[in-house]
Amino acid sequence: MSDVLEALINVGVLASAIRIATPLLLAALGEMVTERAGVLNLGIEGTITVSAFGSFVVADKADSLWLGVLSGVGAGILLSLLMAVLVSSIKVEQVVAGLALNLFGIGMAFYLFRAVYPQTGGEMPRSDTFDFAEIPLLADIPAVGEIVFSQHWLTYAAIGTCPALWFALNRTQFGLELRSVGNNPAACDMRGISVTRMQYLALAFGGLMAGLAGAFLSVFLSGLFFVDVAAGRGWIALAIVIFGNWRIGRILAGSLLFGYLDAYQLSLQARGLEVPHQLLLALPFALTIAALVVNRRRSQEPLHLGVPYFRGER
Amino acid sequence: MSTDMSTTPGSSSGSLLRRGGWRLEKRLEVKPWHEVVTLVGAFIVGLALCSILIAASDKSVIDSYRALFDGALGSRRAIYETLVQATPLIFTGLAAAFAFRARVWNIGGEGQFFAGAMGAYFVSDLWSAHLPRGVMVPVLFIGAAAAGALWASIAGVLKARYDTNEIITTVMLNFIILLILSYLLGDLWRSPDTFYFQTVTLPESTHLPLMIDGSRLHWGFGIALAMAVVVYVVLRRTALGYEVRGVGINRTAGSYKGISVPRVTVLVMAISGALAGLAGAAELAGVHHRLQLDISNNFGFVGIIIALIGRLHPAGVVVSAIAFGALVNGAVTMQIQTGIPAALVDVIQGLSLIFVLTGAVAVRYRLQRTSSDE
Repeated sequence: MSDVLEALINVGVLASAIRIATPLLLAALGEMVTERAGVLNLGIEGTITVSAFGSFVVADKADSLWLGVLSGVGAGILLSLLMAVLVSSIKVEQVVAGLALNLFGIGMAFYLFRAVYPQTGGEMPRSDTFDFAEIPLLADIPAVGEIVFSQHWLTYAAIGTCPALWFALNRTQFGLELRSVGNNPAACDMRGISVTRMQYLALAFGGLMAGLAGAFLSVFLSGLFFVDVAAGRGWIALAIVIFGNWRIGRILAGSLLFGYLDAYQLSLQARGLEVPHQLLLALPFALTIAALVVNRRRSQEPLHLGVPYFRGER
Repeated sequence: MSTDMSTTPGSSSGSLLRRGGWRLEKRLEVKPWHEVVTLVGAFIVGLALCSILIAASDKSVIDSYRALFDGALGSRRAIYETLVQATPLIFTGLAAAFAFRARVWNIGGEGQFFAGAMGAYFVSDLWSAHLPRGVMVPVLFIGAAAAGALWASIAGVLKARYDTNEIITTVMLNFIILLILSYLLGDLWRSPDTFYFQTVTLPESTHLPLMIDGSRLHWGFGIALAMAVVVYVVLRRTALGYEVRGVGINRTAGSYKGISVPRVTVLVMAISGALAGLAGAAELAGVHHRLQLDISNNFGFVGIIIALIGRLHPAGVVVSAIAFGALVNGAVTMQIQTGIPAALVDVIQGLSLIFVLTGAVAVRYRLQRTSSDE
């Protein structure tokens, strides 16, 4: 019992909570921006997988982690732009386009992986990984240093993105226009704001962020690629956006909470404790449904989310 | 003209385009053969693009596709196996098609599949020792349908009562049911003689009889076909079907016509969940005979795609499910014979779907020669 409680505030657990939260936060911030522009992108899971592969294969073959990250991001943006073509230009149903993208992306990544690394039965191919970026001085603070200031550079970047994104969305003309596109595309159109252009930009940003999330999984965390590398993180990111009610502060909190629950149950399992860890893992999803019900009166959900915009037709 | 249109996506938009004496205009009526051409065209483009992938890895495109075809339909045995693969997809495809007809976006087929398999296992566990096969198998299917319906109803009731987005809730429910199953398999339901997450093998009395002796083709396929007919009749010939289609066309107008939209929403979700649940029963009682975490090959999600490719029509669902089953089945042979990774099939499916989607929009337009006086 004391083990179960100790793990709650264990330094290692808290540090890994932040690590686990990083790709969730990255992908969720990207998805939030995409949704603010009125596009529900269900294809993040596929985008993350493709990017994880892109990062992995380039990091391994070109022997450069930075090039790896870059190509992962590039792959993410490319796949999201395909989504943009489908939903914003051709105007197919967003839900369906997202699912198609998942199928296509995951299949493509795994196909290319097998084409580049034929199945040998031996060890899985492995790429280098980034080292932790300890921040001088701050990393020496007891406990806090290990938990907060000994993470990967991408973790700091993800957290740093939050205030920057908040400013961009809430205090700039561009942010206002982007949010209006999700709420009232017809009015934007009349004001001369191109709905299509905004949605392309928002999706590209979402692809960039999902791309970083994918890169984080392969060339930061494990140095591995496998077909289930995303392991539902794309869907969890989607949940976090709703859980966070489309607000950046709450999305950050949600990511940390989801990461923490995961880290906690992992440590309970590692200690060989007989606890129903699956139920801990299910908690975030149940909470998300609850948040949907509770928040419905104060919902920040973009009014035109998921609805294709046709000029003059509706 | 429509053959051209179906393979040149991206040329359509809300406004009409004029260029070089040609004009893009909206078709007044989309005929069934337009759609068929679109589907076939999309599939061919998908295959063609994938042959670039094959060629890029220095393999023979013709040999690869021949192996794919042989594995899928090349022999009696291959055909039976294709139908085995198609069986769960028919159920999940019907599940998605039925819900989407009412514009209820049930993305939870995957979770409802597992709920169904769990329901089937639950009743088998309770009664398989006491009931003869003739009673046990129907009971098992009823258990699965009930469990699938129940699980889907959560999303249905939440939507009807609180107007929560069913896309999100069904996705969340997918995760929750899998984690519950994982918990049960690690605990209450775990087979005592293994450290794997799986149940004991179910006794003979729960096994679905075979349709063809000596093959793996079980009566689940027959039930799936029967369900397609039932869904067709319900949609076409019953008051419920009228309401479903009415709500699908226009929720607001539906409620003016005296249709209770919340009631229809819950009902549609439940029926859709029941259909997906039946897939779980068919796989459990027809193929696996024990419950594991990996008994679904993404059936729930692929079912959505099948429903869309089948234009939400039961017959279309059956045809596209068999086509997908053939692809999955053939891919295994292709991988063994040529070394082309079976994942290629996912790429073909994904690409075909993307082209079907664009084609479905494109087919609403046509190119017309503008008259010279314009």
